[in-house]
Amino acid sequence: MDDFEKYIKENRYLFDEQRADKSKIWDNIESRLNTPKSIVVWRFPILKFAASILILVGAFSIINMYLNSGLNYNNQNNIVNQELRDIDTYYKDLVSFQVQLVKNSSKLQDKEKEEFLSFMDELDEEYNTLKLEMKKNLNNEYILEAIVNNYKKRIELIENLLEQINNSKKSNENEGYIL
Amino acid sequence: METNILYRHKDLVEKSKSGDRNSQYQLYELYVDAMYNVSIRILGIKEDAEDIVQDSFVEAFKNLKSFRYESTFGSWLKRIVINKSINYLKIKKIPVTSFDYHEYNISEDINEQDEEGINDSVKSRDIYKIKNGIKHLPDGYRQIINLYLIEGYDHIEIAEILGITISTSKSQYHRAKKKLIEIINTL
Repeated sequence: MDDFEKYIKENRYLFDEQRADKSKIWDNIESRLNTPKSIVVWRFPILKFAASILILVGAFSIINMYLNSGLNYNNQNNIVNQELRDIDTYYKDLVSFQVQLVKNSSKLQDKEKEEFLSFMDELDEEYNTLKLEMKKNLNNEYILEAIVNNYKKRIELIENLLEQINNSKKSNENEGYIL
Repeated sequence: METNILYRHKDLVEKSKSGDRNSQYQLYELYVDAMYNVSIRILGIKEDAEDIVQDSFVEAFKNLKSFRYESTFGSWLKRIVINKSINYLKIKKIPVTSFDYHEYNISEDINEQDEEGINDSVKSRDIYKIKNGIKHLPDGYRQIINLYLIEGYDHIEIAEILGITISTSKSQYHRAKKKLIEIINTL
């Protein structure tokens, strides 16, 4: 280090010739230090507990809301289901009554009965498939229509059969009468 | 003895660490003028220096927990001020080093010999002239003269602050000093 450097280093303090505006700078510093810190709330167990309860209550409310809306929806569904069930029962009873008539008929041969019942079984199967579809998609009008048609077919089938039986009966009677 | 210096204002520092505003203000009052002078020497503009000092104290108080008496509080704080001031210059694209130091690297020894002659010719050990001479230095030269002669950093520290190599710091300094002496002699 030469004399020039030495001289400057020894007189360093003489270079601090400026004075800062202390109060102005401090005001700014203080305002920035006073900005609210993000408080770590989890340090306080009571807040932790309160937060847990809040979350639980919140979750419960959401589930409740969901269930309520679900129930309303179910209520609507129940009404529709009830109507369908009534229709279903009506046709079912009608069909089973007629099937029973066919089964009990003494005028039909076993083979004829069997043939007729196998038709009925096919329609039964179709009906069950349609019913499953109904569960998947209640609003499907085509399925509803198909179910109704299924019933109609069965009834028609039975009616035709019964008509045939009656016709043969009549003709027999008439024959008898002629004779 | 050295340990005592490191722990200077320990009480104030510790209280400031726990957020005691009064202690923070006392530390501020002790160091604000020195820090303001450090910054204004680098930046040259009063308002910029005020902003940097303000930022530096806020950062220092917010990060005081990381201060572990490895240096004095004053030199820790000063380093923050200097880094912030240099970064400010870099953002403003004001050169913090001279561009022509490569040329000087080659002929460093010759120039060192030259300096001895020049030093003899410094007419006056006049601090006023030296201050004035520093103000007339190009930006890149002024920073290295400030850091080495006035702030008292060695070339290892300067290299770190300015992001240059130690040899570049040395060669830049010698060239800056030569230029300074030339200026002083013309004043």
